[in-house]
Amino acid sequence: MLTYGHAAETGAALRRFAAPGRDVVPRDQYALDEEPLEHHAALVIGMHADQRHLAARAGRLAGYLAQGGTIAASGHLAYPFLPDVSGFQPLPTGHLDDLRIHREAAHPIWAGVSEQDLTFRRGVAGFYGRGWHIPPPRARVLHSVGREHRPLDIMWRHGKGRVLLHGGNDLWSFGAGDIARNLFDWLLAGPEVL
Amino acid sequence: MLAVLDAGSYYHHHAIHGAPYRHLFDRVIYTPDLDRAALEGVSVLLVADRNNPVLLRRHADLILGHWRRGGTLVVLGENEAESWVPGVRWSPRPTNFWWWLEPGAKPEHQYPRPEHEFFRHVPPEDTVWHYHGVLQPPPGAEALITVPPDPEGRDQGGALLYEDRASEAGRLLIATLDPFYHHGSRFMPSTTRFLDGFLPWMNRLARQEAVAEG
Repeated sequence: MLTYGHAAETGAALRRFAAPGRDVVPRDQYALDEEPLEHHAALVIGMHADQRHLAARAGRLAGYLAQGGTIAASGHLAYPFLPDVSGFQPLPTGHLDDLRIHREAAHPIWAGVSEQDLTFRRGVAGFYGRGWHIPPPRARVLHSVGREHRPLDIMWRHGKGRVLLHGGNDLWSFGAGDIARNLFDWLLAGPEVL
Repeated sequence: MLAVLDAGSYYHHHAIHGAPYRHLFDRVIYTPDLDRAALEGVSVLLVADRNNPVLLRRHADLILGHWRRGGTLVVLGENEAESWVPGVRWSPRPTNFWWWLEPGAKPEHQYPRPEHEFFRHVPPEDTVWHYHGVLQPPPGAEALITVPPDPEGRDQGGALLYEDRASEAGRLLIATLDPFYHHGSRFMPSTTRFLDGFLPWMNRLARQEAVAEG
C-alpha cells in the first residue's frame, strides 16, 4: 500500500484486516523505485497519491501487472499511470439521476451492499463517485453512475494480473457493508480471481 | 508573481491546471521539484491544501524563507502546518460532514474582521463547509474566520483562517480549509465559489507586491 505523507491514516480501513502472512505494508510513494513489487501480491493506490510521479513509472506498474500483480486504485485518473484505461471523464451534475449508482454486475466485494447504499449517505447522493473512465475492451464494469450508466467500478486483466479502479474516493473507506474486508480478501485471492 | 505548490494529485491537477484558474497562476511548482530557483521572483507562494507533509517538512526552510524575507505565504488546510510552520498551533476536530442536515442548522462560523480585504473577494458565505480542526493564532495575528469552542470540550474554539503579519517580515495567511481538494474532486460548490474569489485576489496581490518590491 502506497502512502503519500499521511502514513498513519493511509489505508487504516484495510490494515485492520492484516494478519500473519496477510500483511499490509505501508510504503512511502517516493520510495517506490526501491520497492521490489514482485514480492507483493497487490499494490493499493489511494486517491491522494502523486499521480504525476506514478505516471512516470507507468511502464513498471504495467510490468508488475503483466507478471501477475494486482493493483487496486481509487480516485480520478488525471495522469496515466494505469494501463489500457482512459483519463477521468466528468459527469454532468445538478440532478440526482446524474449521481445514481447502478449495479452492472454482482461481485463479492459489494456483497450485501445495495445500489441505494452506494448512492446515498444519510440521504445525500454523490459520495461514492462523480465521474467515470472509459474502460479497456473486455473489462468488467461492476458499477456505473448516472443516466448514461457511465463506468465507475472497473475490473480488468493486464497480462496475468488484474486491476480494480474505483473512480471515486478511497473505496476501502466507504462505510457500507463489508467493502473493505471483502476487498482485502479479493486482493489476496490470487491473480486468477476476478 | 503567484506560485502554487502542486502535489501531483488528481484534485490538484483539476484545480490548478483546469480552465477556470490556470491563467491565475504565474508559476506552478511540482512540490517534489521545489528548490531555490523555483521561488525566484515569487511574491505570493500558495501551498495548496493536502500537499504531502513529508515534502513540506523537508522543504520548510525554503518555504519559510519566503515569508521571512518579506513575501506572502499562504498555507491551506490538511498540510500538517503545525509540524513545520513555527508558531502554528492546531487542534483536530472530528469532521461533521452533516451539520447542514440537522434541523435549523446554522453555520457556526464567525467573522471578527469583516472589513478585511479577504472578504471583498470571498464573501463570508463562501467560506462555509465542514472543517477538520481549529488554529490558535499567535500573539499579533488576526483571526478572520473563527468557530466557538468544541461542544465536547476538545478545544476552546479557534480560527479557520488567520493572518500573521507580526511574526516575520512577510505575511502568513493560514487556513484549515481545503478548497483545492473539494473543488478538484468536483464536490462541494462552496469550495469552488471560495476559489472563484480567493485565487483572483491572490493573483492581484502577487502583482501589487511585485510592484512594491520593484
